[in-house]
Amino acid sequence: MDKKLLLVDDEEGIRKVLSISLSDSGYTVFTAENGEEALKIYRKETPPIVLTDIKMPGMDGIELLQRIKHENPDTEVIMITGHGDMDLAIKSLKYQAVDFVTKPINDDVLEIALNRAHEKIRMRQQLREYTENLEALVREKSAKLIEVERQVAVGQAVEGLSSAMRDIAGDLEGGLTYFNEMPCFVSVHNPKLKIIAVNPLYKERLGDKVGRNSWDVYTAKTGAGFKCPAEQTFKTGKGLRTKATVKTSNGDKAPVIVHTAPIRNQDGDVELVVEISADITEVKRLREELHRTQQRYQQLFDEVPCYISVQDRQFRLTATNRRFKEDFDVELGAFCHEVYKHRDESCPNCPVARTFEDGQSHQAEMVVTSKTGEQYNVLIWTAPLRNTAGEITHVMEMSTNITQIRKLQDHLSSLGLKISSISHGIKGLLTGLDGGMYLVETGFAKKKPERVKQGWADVKTIISRIRKLVHNILFFAKERELKCARLDGLNFAEDVASTIEPKIKANGIEFVCDFDTSLEELEIDAGVVRLALINILENALDACIEDEAQKSHKIVFSVQQEEEQIIFEIKDNGIGMDQETRESLFTLFFSSKGNKGTGLGLFIADKIIDQHGGKISVVSKPGQGSNFRISIPKIIPQSIKNMTGDWKEKNE
Amino acid sequence: MPKKILIIDDDPVVVKYLMAVFSDNGYATCSASSSMEGLEVVKAEKPDLICLDLQMPGEWGARFYRKLRKDKQLKDTPVIVVSGIDGDHAVKDAVAFVKKPFDPEKLVGIVKNTIG
Repeated sequence: MDKKLLLVDDEEGIRKVLSISLSDSGYTVFTAENGEEALKIYRKETPPIVLTDIKMPGMDGIELLQRIKHENPDTEVIMITGHGDMDLAIKSLKYQAVDFVTKPINDDVLEIALNRAHEKIRMRQQLREYTENLEALVREKSAKLIEVERQVAVGQAVEGLSSAMRDIAGDLEGGLTYFNEMPCFVSVHNPKLKIIAVNPLYKERLGDKVGRNSWDVYTAKTGAGFKCPAEQTFKTGKGLRTKATVKTSNGDKAPVIVHTAPIRNQDGDVELVVEISADITEVKRLREELHRTQQRYQQLFDEVPCYISVQDRQFRLTATNRRFKEDFDVELGAFCHEVYKHRDESCPNCPVARTFEDGQSHQAEMVVTSKTGEQYNVLIWTAPLRNTAGEITHVMEMSTNITQIRKLQDHLSSLGLKISSISHGIKGLLTGLDGGMYLVETGFAKKKPERVKQGWADVKTIISRIRKLVHNILFFAKERELKCARLDGLNFAEDVASTIEPKIKANGIEFVCDFDTSLEELEIDAGVVRLALINILENALDACIEDEAQKSHKIVFSVQQEEEQIIFEIKDNGIGMDQETRESLFTLFFSSKGNKGTGLGLFIADKIIDQHGGKISVVSKPGQGSNFRISIPKIIPQSIKNMTGDWKEKNE
Repeated sequence: MPKKILIIDDDPVVVKYLMAVFSDNGYATCSASSSMEGLEVVKAEKPDLICLDLQMPGEWGARFYRKLRKDKQLKDTPVIVVSGIDGDHAVKDAVAFVKKPFDPEKLVGIVKNTIG
């Protein structure tokens, strides 16, 4: 295995320490202190694995990752991240980083990341071998097809050859010298209807019949509808062509096409007859073989566990296999990028285009959209198809669906991320508790009631953080059936508001409730919907506390109804969110709140609302606050109740 | 004049805790809630010792440390890392590495050994 590795970090200490431990593990380590230098070394040494810091002056780790993946998607890149950089870590996974390790770097964690990179390289290698085997198989089968077609042609040529033989035999006394090389049974008969000579193939297959009667070799008896071809020719003086069946020396029967030709003496009398028989079972066998091969080839094409398509130079699909048709809307002649990605133009880095250019196989990993709108991660391999002149006319593209692998990988990465951040979070909480206890104890000892009060307030803050963390973890760890009950909508809204109101007011923030007083009965799982609403209200509170740009803050909690839906709206004028934060909002373990966030709150809120058959939408801009709108059916329809069962299975 | 300790940590509860522990043991204290703020406070207050957390939103504690070591006037200020994360690769020549949650008596012991 290529044990080269490129290490990029702007901190010399980290480069030094890591180089030593990586060299110990058998790597040839190249180091660079910035992105530009890293690219230079990368192009010269082409290491299969790159380990890079994310935050660097100049070109940062994410850009370096994208450049490397663009130049060679096979290179595996492991990111080094600081503890505050989790959003960057998630972003790097999106750009195909294989893994990330957090600073300070733990050797075991690094080893796991490196093993994962090796595993991925090995997997790709296997896939490549598999694909290449497939190509070899296709080549072999095509060669066979050509061979079979050639033999069929030979079979047909026998006829022509026989007539040529007739002429030769007619013209030349010495015509017999040719017949040893004939690919048919050849025999020579005299006017007494005895066989006087046979060629080696005749001897081998039918037995040495020299001296026997001309008709002995045929299964049919002379008379009843069958006339001995040699006898006929002696009688009529003309060559003939007929079908007959011969007995072979091992007792089988073989259908043949018989040609005869008279050989005359100087007086013009027929002196000898040459009989040439071509075994048509051989021709039949070859035809069947051809058919079977074609069928097998089609089966192979249809059943291989990949999407296969053949494309012309305009990237139009000229053939696709069954699996491809199953998952994508295919019309032959449609453009690949249309079918796979719903794009109007060809994709950048198209591996098919590169194969047309250089005739080599290329590989790429892409996300494609199926006809049902599902996104698949596919690993694509291409192979050129050439015409007889050796020009590439088409490119075959094979895509393996690796969505499951990717999902698993993302899940594992998130899990690792979570475990490290939860354990750190818990240590922080314990330290905070120690702090509160210290203040309370020393406050009593020194008789400083103000200090006791302060310490106790800290203890309360920390306990409420712990409670929230534990609730969220419990909720995340255990899938829970909805426990729906009928309840009064207005009461529920007021109950939620009164839970959060003291906390909001304690921070000097205005809290406005705007409830539709005509609210009727709801049927929801009140416990979890309350949890979801509180999670979002607490985020609104944090967004206001964080915002230093404005002096006065306000949170509006409104509950309205629209037909069969109940709409909860939570509006704040806090810091707001940029697009990226908005998009990752409901992702598990995403948090923009540093130490204070668990990355679970909105993930859980989204899950709860989804379980109720509802929806959360968000409007937000940095500096302009956020508006969360949650709509759920007032009464959960039976169909959704049933669906939650499926949903559960699917997500387990 | 009492010796002065700068506490850098993003969690206000932890900052309050450390300030109480140090002032109970006769030290003056000042604090910062991020690396950036920490650099400003170091320059303004010239502390005798720094208590540094590693994981903070924005700039990470180790960056603060590196910048501190580049400043000729400040580079000899002793640093004690007080953090919940494992490993001490990043801050090689810190006086001590104290893991959260910590024993306040031990921490005070380390401080006394370092600056008296």
